[in-house]
Amino acid sequence: MASAADKYIRLEKLGEGTYATVYKGKSRQTGEILALKEINLDAEEGAPSTAIREISLMKELRHPNIVRLHDVIHTEKTLTLVFEYMDQDLKKYMDGLGTNGMIMPFTAKSFMFQLLKGIAFCHENRVLHRDLKPQNLLINSLGELKLGDFGLARAFGIPVNTFSNEVVTLWYRAPDVLLGSRNYSTSIDIWSAGCIFAEMFSGKPLFPGKTNEDQLFKIFKLLGTPDETVWPRVGELPEYKTNWPVYPRQNLIMKIPTLDYTGIELLSRMLQYDPNQRITAKDALNHVFFTELHRSQYGQSGSQQFRPAGIPTPIMTPIGHTAGFPAGMQQQIQQQIQQPQHMPHQLYAQQVQQLQQMQQPGGAPMLTASQMAAMQGMDGSGNMGGFIGQ
Amino acid sequence: MAVVDPGKLSLQNSVLTVAQLERTPSEEDGIPKALENELRALGCELIQSAGILLRLPQVAMATAQVLLQRYYYMASLKLASVRDIAMGAVFLASKVEETPRKIKDIINVFAWLIDQYRDVTPRVESYAGLQYNGFKDGLASGEMRILCKLGFNVQVQQPHGFMINYMQSLDIAENEELAQTAWNYLNDGLRTNIYVCYQPSTIACAAIFLSARVHKVKLPTEPPWWEVFDTDLEDMTYISGHLLNLYQRPPRKGLPLTLAELESYNYDALPS
Ligand SMILES: Nc1ncnc2c1ncn2[C@@H]1O[C@H](COP(=O)(O)OP(=O)(O)O)[C@@H](O)[C@H]1O
Ligand SMILES: [Mg+2]
Repeated sequence: MASAADKYIRLEKLGEGTYATVYKGKSRQTGEILALKEINLDAEEGAPSTAIREISLMKELRHPNIVRLHDVIHTEKTLTLVFEYMDQDLKKYMDGLGTNGMIMPFTAKSFMFQLLKGIAFCHENRVLHRDLKPQNLLINSLGELKLGDFGLARAFGIPVNTFSNEVVTLWYRAPDVLLGSRNYSTSIDIWSAGCIFAEMFSGKPLFPGKTNEDQLFKIFKLLGTPDETVWPRVGELPEYKTNWPVYPRQNLIMKIPTLDYTGIELLSRMLQYDPNQRITAKDALNHVFFTELHRSQYGQSGSQQFRPAGIPTPIMTPIGHTAGFPAGMQQQIQQQIQQPQHMPHQLYAQQVQQLQQMQQPGGAPMLTASQMAAMQGMDGSGNMGGFIGQ
Repeated sequence: MAVVDPGKLSLQNSVLTVAQLERTPSEEDGIPKALENELRALGCELIQSAGILLRLPQVAMATAQVLLQRYYYMASLKLASVRDIAMGAVFLASKVEETPRKIKDIINVFAWLIDQYRDVTPRVESYAGLQYNGFKDGLASGEMRILCKLGFNVQVQQPHGFMINYMQSLDIAENEELAQTAWNYLNDGLRTNIYVCYQPSTIACAAIFLSARVHKVKLPTEPPWWEVFDTDLEDMTYISGHLLNLYQRPPRKGLPLTLAELESYNYDALPS
């Protein structure tokens, strides 16, 4: 029986999720650094559905903004998923910043762009992620961001299946799902992405609800209590109530003052109440908010977001801190210098500080927002199109 | 168990190679083709019946049957019994399709169905008794075997949704008889190997094709409607042949459902 230990040396613990523990690992054969996600097998549950989903979907999804699954090792008691190694998750990164969790605007924009690219690829391939949140987004010192943790992901077909309602951590859960809709689609990932967008720019979770209702009301307080004019047929959803308090819509700028006008515009397209009106990932990538990225990076190096690792980057003398800086980030900083209108000097100093912190392992405590187990609460009444079998 | 290389098997919807279809692992193991086909069909029938008793949605039953079919293109019947793979497939498919069922319920249902099949009065046996009889281990190992042999490739794209879409665009979705017959063809077809040979869109067209014939419903011929859905007549005819063939075959009794039974099974009992 081949165990994970035969192939990989297990190093320190990287993180703990809801159903797995992730360790840093090293391949005995190649010396490559990897991430080992260990899942305990339980005799009553058999193979956990999270693992089944994660493996069966991730092996199909190969994209620069999706964490690569390299190998799966199965022993009697454990299942080990071997992933490409990333430096940390976005949550820890934000917690470790000395800027109240705010990410520098250019970096945040780049992260957002990469997040949307990963989502667009999933959706093109008929996969919903369903659990997008900072803890499940992984970043590395090249400034790359990748989608991880496909434990709640779901392939969707042409028919409108009825899906589990137990998806997405509360804070990032779309209002249609909160109101009991079960035929959601790609738009649920866009809502989560919108919440993450705001969080990166403000340093705070946009809607940190405590209960289902509290979550809804937090949304209503910012975006206004929805009615049929902004959200046609909202009244047909299972959890719709006629006695909701009526809140007026606030201006998003008040909440996220660091985001410029085009960013606010994009954010509001992502946080549409009506799932049908929510922007798609593909359209979001073409939004003017990202024009700057297209021009400064795509113009130069094709599909690479950043200068690939290994290509030497000129050292920037003015700061004197650059030794050991990630190559991609250096280039990014340089671009900022060349375009001073985007990066005033004191912000630049902050950026440097951020980068240094990124090099250190994030020490801040992780939030234990409860992730939903997708297996709960199913009634098995799902069927297709109202026909009956045989 | 073996290390899985996730890159090895890649099946969006697995359409197997001719070589894989022609010589199966069971044949390599000396099991006659006729017996293998009977056992595949029986395994699928057990899954379908179990699914009904477990109130699973049809899509989960369909996924389970495709998993069983795929599995026996990767491994021999002498390695894992039809009973265990069928149970494992139901367990697995119920999770993949987000309608999970308890191990205990699946075992109970299978024990009952198998007694029925063997014409013995179904015993009311305790759960502990069934565990003892290898049902539980069989189910657990069945699930893991499927996962490992298929490299976790357990996402199955079903033709049902395609069929509904096609019927809507042909304006025949309102014809309930036609729709029900076509739907039945899709489900019965799970007992054949068409699901591992053809893409779901082609299977959907074949079911509509056959049902339209049965109910004497005329469909557009200029251009032929199936061409609009990227399907050709030859494939549809082949699938139709398989589907019709299914209805002529009486269900055979006394087939070996466990490894021990297979071991002592007299192959000559089957007409070749
Ligand atoms: N490839 C990786 N590289 C580095 N850290 C990782 C990697 N994958 C996961 N982690 C860390 O482990 C944590 C838990 O992993 P995750 O896949 O989200 O597990 P779970 O499904 O249990 O939530 C993540 O939040 C992250 O901090
Ligand atoms: Mg996670």
